[in-house]
Amino acid sequence: MRNRRSQIAVAAVALVLGFLVVTQVRSQAGGTGLEDRSAQDLTLLVANLNTRNDQLRGEVADLGRQLDSIAAAQARGDTSAGQLRADLVHVRIWAGVDPAEGQGVRVMLRGPVTAAVIEDLVNELRNAGAEAIAVGGVRIVPATIAGGLPGSLSVENTPLSDPVEVDAIGNAATITGTLTRAGGLVAQEMATNDGLAIEVTPVDQLDVPATARDLVPRVAKPRL
Amino acid sequence: MSGVATRMRSIPVWEITLFLALVSLGFLIAAQVRSETPRVRYTSQERAPLIETAVGLQTQQKALQAQILDLRSRIASAEVATQGSSAIATQLNDALFQARLAAGLTALEGNGLVVQLEDAPQVSQAAGNADLLVTGRDVRTVVEELWLAGAEAVAVNDERVVATTSIIDIGGSLLVNSAYVAPPYQVVAVGPADMYTQLAASVSWIDFVASRAGQSGIRLAIAQPSSLIVPAYAGSVSIRYAQPPASAAPSANP
Repeated sequence: MRNRRSQIAVAAVALVLGFLVVTQVRSQAGGTGLEDRSAQDLTLLVANLNTRNDQLRGEVADLGRQLDSIAAAQARGDTSAGQLRADLVHVRIWAGVDPAEGQGVRVMLRGPVTAAVIEDLVNELRNAGAEAIAVGGVRIVPATIAGGLPGSLSVENTPLSDPVEVDAIGNAATITGTLTRAGGLVAQEMATNDGLAIEVTPVDQLDVPATARDLVPRVAKPRL
Repeated sequence: MSGVATRMRSIPVWEITLFLALVSLGFLIAAQVRSETPRVRYTSQERAPLIETAVGLQTQQKALQAQILDLRSRIASAEVATQGSSAIATQLNDALFQARLAAGLTALEGNGLVVQLEDAPQVSQAAGNADLLVTGRDVRTVVEELWLAGAEAVAVNDERVVATTSIIDIGGSLLVNSAYVAPPYQVVAVGPADMYTQLAASVSWIDFVASRAGQSGIRLAIAQPSSLIVPAYAGSVSIRYAQPPASAAPSANP
């Protein structure tokens, strides 16, 4: 009888042990960081991933066409200089090395503008699909950071006057909609920064200058 | 001694087995409790298919990124191969190589600095402690501080920071270049050898560490590998609205 009880006890402990081992292994393996998200958060994430994947598919198609075009030029014995030139113009504008023009939005910031407000705005403009951005006439590239205290802000050692003018080339309707929607960046910043006024205006033709920075790395080596 | 040995021999095997099983049980319970993440966990039924979909889309994303890098590499090789003896084509190829470097379309290797950010331990969103979670603004601050310290290239969890990069919070997730990145967040930078010295001397960095790691308790770690690689940007570079000014022509110097 005693032997029977001991067997039952060992079996029960082994059962719990097995369950915990499986749970632990699964929790270690499922380290996607998604386990703690609500259904609403996951829905938003899935929508964003879908959009991003569509963009990437578009890029794959564009690159495929470009490769085919080079192959065709090669077959004709062409030097493909035209293709190279087009590619160069495209990459330099995208990187901020060359100036750009096109439709977009002009954002005017008045009142106690902080460096953090400018950083938030630039981040949101990029998120809304802006292709070229200038703050106070200075082209924004990855390492361009606004600094200083309200009233004495600067970008790349260029002082920013009041109002601060931010130009962004891109789809004017999309960018305006993203910035000015209920609970969007404009509403958030104006609610949390007393006296700050932000005005967003779609513009048919904006000119954004090239960066003055040398973006080619001096120390790091390309890994081809 | 012989008494102890006799007593040991008298302990039934099942008791020893049970003892060992209970020790393992205790260990596993402790491990399970410790492995619970600080963010709150939800239990609704609809989450499982959503997680599965998100994971599937992430897998697709990685495959598409790999395809993009492969196509760009093939295009670069084909462009060089077709240049022939044309001096113009050679010059354009050199300029294109420099432009791709400037744009972040080429991986870079060099002196490295890695800053890792994680949520504060034992924090729950439900308890209203959202400021103890790592946010997009935290990651952006780290990226900015690394630029100020002289970084020449920066990436967040393998997403290269380029001219169009946004780092945003969407529903408790962090998106970099619209790609989902899971915690812990690793911001890697390559640049000059004194990057860490510059970073450590920055007043705004010291303020950030004191505020977010010191007061809020988010976990922050720094490593200085002698060499690391910042990957190339593997996203879309399409432009639809930005055009070169009517009079402009590309110059040879990026």
